[in-house]
Amino acid sequence: MNKKQIELAWIIAVLVILLSWGAINIVWIGDVHNSIATENNHVSANNSSNVQLIKVQGTQWSWTFTNSSGVSTTDAFNVTVNKTVELVVTSVPGEYIAVIHDLLIPQMGIQIYAVPGQNNTIEFTPTHTGVFFFECVEYCGELHYEMRGYMTVVK
Amino acid sequence: MNGGMITAQSSTSIGQTSFLFYITLIISISAIVLLIIFYYISTQKTILKEKAESMGYESPNEMVRDKLAGKPRLLSWNVFLYDDSKSIALRYLLASMVFFFIAGSFGLGMRLSLTNPNPHLLTPDEYNVLLSEHAILMIYMFALGAAFFLGYYLLPSHLKLKRDVMGGYASVAFWIWLFGGIFILVSRTATRWYYYPPLALELAEYGGGVFNWLAVIGLEMVFVGVVINCIIIIKLIASERSKDIKLSEMSLFTWAMLFTVVMTISSAPTLMVGLGMLFYDFFNPIFFTAASHQVLLFTIMFWFWGHPIVYIAIIPAFGLIYEIIPKFTGKPIYSYNSGIIGLGLLLILSELVWGHHLMNSGLGVAWDIFFGTTSFLVVIPSAITVFNWIASLWSADRIRLTTPMLFVINGIIDFIIGGTMGVILSAAPANDFLHGTYFVTGHFHFIFLGLTVGITFAGIYMLFPTLTGGRKYDVRLARWHFYLTALGSAVMAGAWGIGGFMGMPRATAGYFARFQPYQDVSIAGGIIIAIAQLIFLYNLAKSYTKQPSISMDNVLENNPTSPEIPVTTPAPTPPDINITGGAK
Ligand SMILES: [Cu+2]
Repeated sequence: MNKKQIELAWIIAVLVILLSWGAINIVWIGDVHNSIATENNHVSANNSSNVQLIKVQGTQWSWTFTNSSGVSTTDAFNVTVNKTVELVVTSVPGEYIAVIHDLLIPQMGIQIYAVPGQNNTIEFTPTHTGVFFFECVEYCGELHYEMRGYMTVVK
Repeated sequence: MNGGMITAQSSTSIGQTSFLFYITLIISISAIVLLIIFYYISTQKTILKEKAESMGYESPNEMVRDKLAGKPRLLSWNVFLYDDSKSIALRYLLASMVFFFIAGSFGLGMRLSLTNPNPHLLTPDEYNVLLSEHAILMIYMFALGAAFFLGYYLLPSHLKLKRDVMGGYASVAFWIWLFGGIFILVSRTATRWYYYPPLALELAEYGGGVFNWLAVIGLEMVFVGVVINCIIIIKLIASERSKDIKLSEMSLFTWAMLFTVVMTISSAPTLMVGLGMLFYDFFNPIFFTAASHQVLLFTIMFWFWGHPIVYIAIIPAFGLIYEIIPKFTGKPIYSYNSGIIGLGLLLILSELVWGHHLMNSGLGVAWDIFFGTTSFLVVIPSAITVFNWIASLWSADRIRLTTPMLFVINGIIDFIIGGTMGVILSAAPANDFLHGTYFVTGHFHFIFLGLTVGITFAGIYMLFPTLTGGRKYDVRLARWHFYLTALGSAVMAGAWGIGGFMGMPRATAGYFARFQPYQDVSIAGGIIIAIAQLIFLYNLAKSYTKQPSISMDNVLENNPTSPEIPVTTPAPTPPDINITGGAK
């Protein structure tokens, strides 16, 4: 190959890799991110029988989880395996004021901001039982690092 | 019981008295020091003025310009008296280096505090102050300061400047920028460099910091200084350039600076307005409070600037890499035109990717698709630039591995690693579990340490003989500085990248014990980097004691890249060129 051909091969190879990734990305977002951020398109609004709805409230500096039967837990919550979980996440003033938080459950591959005055929703379906950690990943003041805990997936 | 309480109370009041005493003492001493400095500068300026008048000049600036025009410029305290571009440049060099070491020691402090999963050396509040100050000072004071140093120092030579008339404004801009940085430093802000409200409005030690309002004023001042500088640099390039130099023949560094300043003044105003609104909120909270339902508005205004700034911090380094490579390969850059195209495309595309910092915040699917896709596209100009460097190195007959060249090669490698981590982040499925983790910190530090820090050091080593009036630096120490910096940054950022992939959250004063191994490795990396910088300081001190022995003519200043003229290896070169095996 001469110099021009090598250059051309470089350019085409890079573009193909990038654009295919980009296309996959668009499809994936359209599929999965559909449930974020609008108050009206809760999964539970359409099909409430098979969904575990959990209200999540971030505050300085803990997470409160309230399930559909009204039971609240702090920095820990339980869900049932193979059943879609829907989180409705917001930030509320606790002892101090409401600031921005961000809930990350790495092993579920989900992350959602807790923004004051706004309900963000996200859904996921745990496929394994076990204990998984979650944490706040938006810096929110003094004890930001303590806004963490465990989610337990039970049978 | 009662007695105990009384003792406790009286000891608090004694504590408060001595606290007030120390505060008063510190303020008095700094006032005296400032007064002495002011007295010294104004006396010197008067002397300079009298001298200028006796020589028939109307103002000292004109005399300085005539006296110093076309001569090599060395680092001395006189730069605070002169208002020409090169003196302004050296002020930025001094200030940015001071802030580099301050902010760097903050970074080291954070690492040392993280040797234990629970905060131990520092309280969470202290950790959060260091976290915020490290980022703000490194970006606004070190990175931007270094960019202005390189710009003001090299552009007058690259553009064969005939007139240098904006010095007065540049001087004012420098002082505004410097005092802005000092305000931020003393404000003990704890909002992280994002300044996200409502946290930034929480004026308490557990929130954004008691004096966070001062940090907001400080940042606004930094912006005013920076924007004035950008306008001056545009004027230097656009209207004060020598007629001999056509636009299509400007050095690639000049192009890089032009794109940098255009990017700055087109994206800074949103955050300047945002900071103004934030400041108003301190008195009358109407813009960014929960009740306004507009909390995310500030984050949008912030990232419209916040993403371009990371490119603003590296594009001057891109330009300098283009300048340094030909000096040590003896051949022109592989493609001058694609160099300009790469940097220009980067200017446009990098202004369109900022929304990827706000995925998952509830801004919708269209938002995620648009910014996810543009984040893929911004890879194209970066790849053009990197391939251009690689092709230049590939097609060289011989590469002389001097210290600046080693920094350049390491910078290219770090940019490839950090850039690839960036592409991974732009894929939404990966971004969902990587955003907010140390993976992002690793991505950013690979690029910042490899390019912004490394290439600034490369530039300093290149200019060293000129800046020090013909002194040599100790080559062996310079090598150690390079190897340890490169090793330390790879170890630190690499450990962060892997730990972040496992879910280790960033910006935390403590962590789950499961992340201990990644933290420990990155702490080792941080300590290695710190040792390397001490070696650099020792090298400076050592060369200061030596007598000047080599020419002050500088290859980086006087032989800019251009599309036509092949770079012949010119005689005056940095001192360690003839040391390595590859040397002539
Ligand atoms: Cu939080």
